[in-house]
Order: sequence, then C-alpha cells, then structure tokens
Amino acid sequence: MIRHTISVGWADTSLKRFVDDARLQVAILMHTSGQVLAQVGFQRSLDVQTACALSAAINASAEHLGTMVDGTPFRGLHFAGKTRQMFLGQVPSTGALLLVLGVFDTESSLGIVQLYLKELQANIAAAAPTAEPDEPALAENFETDLNRNLAQLFGRA
Amino acid sequence: MSLVNYATREITCKIVYYGPGRSGKTTNLHYIHGQVPSDRKGQMVSLATQTDRTLFFDFLPIDLGSISGFTTRFQLYTVPGQVYYQTTRKLVLQGADGVVFVADSQRRQVQENIESLQDLHANLAEQGVDARTMPLVIQYNKQDLPPELIMSMPELEEALNFRGVPSCAADALHGPGVFETLRGISEQVLRKLSAGRGGA
Repeated sequence: MIRHTISVGWADTSLKRFVDDARLQVAILMHTSGQVLAQVGFQRSLDVQTACALSAAINASAEHLGTMVDGTPFRGLHFAGKTRQMFLGQVPSTGALLLVLGVFDTESSLGIVQLYLKELQANIAAAAPTAEPDEPALAENFETDLNRNLAQLFGRA
Repeated sequence: MSLVNYATREITCKIVYYGPGRSGKTTNLHYIHGQVPSDRKGQMVSLATQTDRTLFFDFLPIDLGSISGFTTRFQLYTVPGQVYYQTTRKLVLQGADGVVFVADSQRRQVQENIESLQDLHANLAEQGVDARTMPLVIQYNKQDLPPELIMSMPELEEALNFRGVPSCAADALHGPGVFETLRGISEQVLRKLSAGRGGA
C-alpha cells in the first residue's frame, strides 16, 4: 500500500547530530522520490527541493545503470571537487528507503562521513514513526486561499 | 506522496506533467517559470539532449504561499515523452500526487496521445496506483494552431477523456490555459489531501 501522506519532523535531531559528528556543511535526508524529510544548512527551501530532485535522479540512474552493467544496483556516490566533496548514501527506514546527501570540505573526510552514516542509519531506524497522524491536513475551504495565491503567482490578483 | 510537516506547517506536493513527445510539457513549465515572481520559485532544472528534447526531466519548485495555514509548495516535473525513455518516465512518476496529461491537439497526433495515456495508466498500475484515484487534469495544448490541423474540443474529449476528468484547452507557448491547468490539478491534489489519507 502506498502512503498518500507522510509527516516529517522526526528526523531532524538525527540529521543534525550526523552533521555535527561528521562535520558536514549541509545535509539533506530525503525519500527516493525526491521529497525532503529533513535538512541542515540550506538557506532557501526551494534550493533544497532542487537538490533533492537531482539527488533522487542520480540515485535512480545509478541503480538502473548498476543493474544493467553489473547485475546489482549501484548504491552510494562520492564526488570530490576542488574544495568540497559530496556524498550520497542510502538510509533504510520503516517501509521505505531514504537517501542522505552530505556536503563537506577539508574539515571532514569520506571515511568520517561513512563512519557516522552507520550511526545515522541506526538513529533513523529507531526514530522512524510507525503510524501517520490521522487528522486531515487542510480545512475544507482551502479553495479560497488556493485561488488567491495562484492568482498572485500569475499576476492576476 | 504529499509531504506534510505538522511541526513547521508545511506541505509539499509532486505534480508530474505527462504526455507524448513534443506535446508541450516543458513549454508549460517554461511559461510558469517566466510568470512566477523570483521569490516564489526555485531554479528550473532541465536535463535535456542537445536538441532540447527532455532527457530525464524538467523540474520547477514553486511556492504557493499559505493555504489553510500551511506553507504550500509544489514540485512540478515533466517526463520525457519519447517512447524509448520508458524507464525514466517510470522513475519520475514515482511518488506523484497528481498528473497533468498534456495532449497535442493536432489531428495527426491522436494516436500518440492515446498511446501515451495508456502508457501512463500502465506505469501507475505497475507502481500499485489505481489511475482512477490519481488526481488528473487533461490539457489540450496547441489550440493556437490553424483549425484545419487540430481536433475540436468535443473530438479530443471523445478520444482521450473517457474518465471525464477536468480538462482545458491551452496554448502553452503564449500562456492561455497554463494557469487554469495548474489551478485545476492543485485543487484536486489539495482536495484529496484535505480529505485525509486517501492512498491507493
């Protein structure tokens, strides 16, 4: 069964601890479909969403490429730039596979990040909720807000 | 799936623009990107081939503002329409909260439209999603072309809209219909969300 709605907030503490311990600059925990669950370090939420969409695409591509050429999905990615490095790893959670994207500089290393990734995986597994909140997210009369905001977006208010 | 953060009162929804190659999916996103104020949109990402055909997806996050007290964001994706990009279409469709099917109104494209719609249903079914429960809007694009080249709205409805979902005529290049389509799918997605858990 595919869950229609998932709530977030439960992963914030685990991710923050991962960032501190592994000395990351920014990190995002996301669903494999590209939906963000928690983030540390980004200033604009819309930039977070773009990073998630691209990370999900990289992960999906790597899995399929791995299956094609090696018979098993490629998991994880490390890219070393001139001053910054990027790590993309998988984090199993209740009923879903999550991804974590971490960016670090010379203050950390791939080994340290991988070391604390295991701790993050354990913390996420322990913190993941087993049930969703029951309450509906929106009031029934949300159309008024929606129409007003869409009109503003398209300059027709 | 919609993402609801009750702690920070934020909602994020994923909308996928689906349809045959060259029907105008990317054009829809370009128009939206051009119209939305810079503080309400993210960077538009296009993973395209050298000939500007969508290779993986286009992505545009937009901030709808506050709805029922929730900061609401939509992630707009397109899929590559060409038949041979089946794998990437499936990947992009994962976790969609709503689908906009962009049909090409040209008479000679009717078969491609039907095949793409069948492809959408098959891919949703493969992911365990009943297409009848997925919020869907059909957009009949390229209505600006000469009448002799395009099908009429009743003809298009007859050929493609067997479920009787909301539909609208559009000229995505110049704007008419783009806003109405986005409003239609947003309303459906949020209505489903307001009804509580309606997962397939």
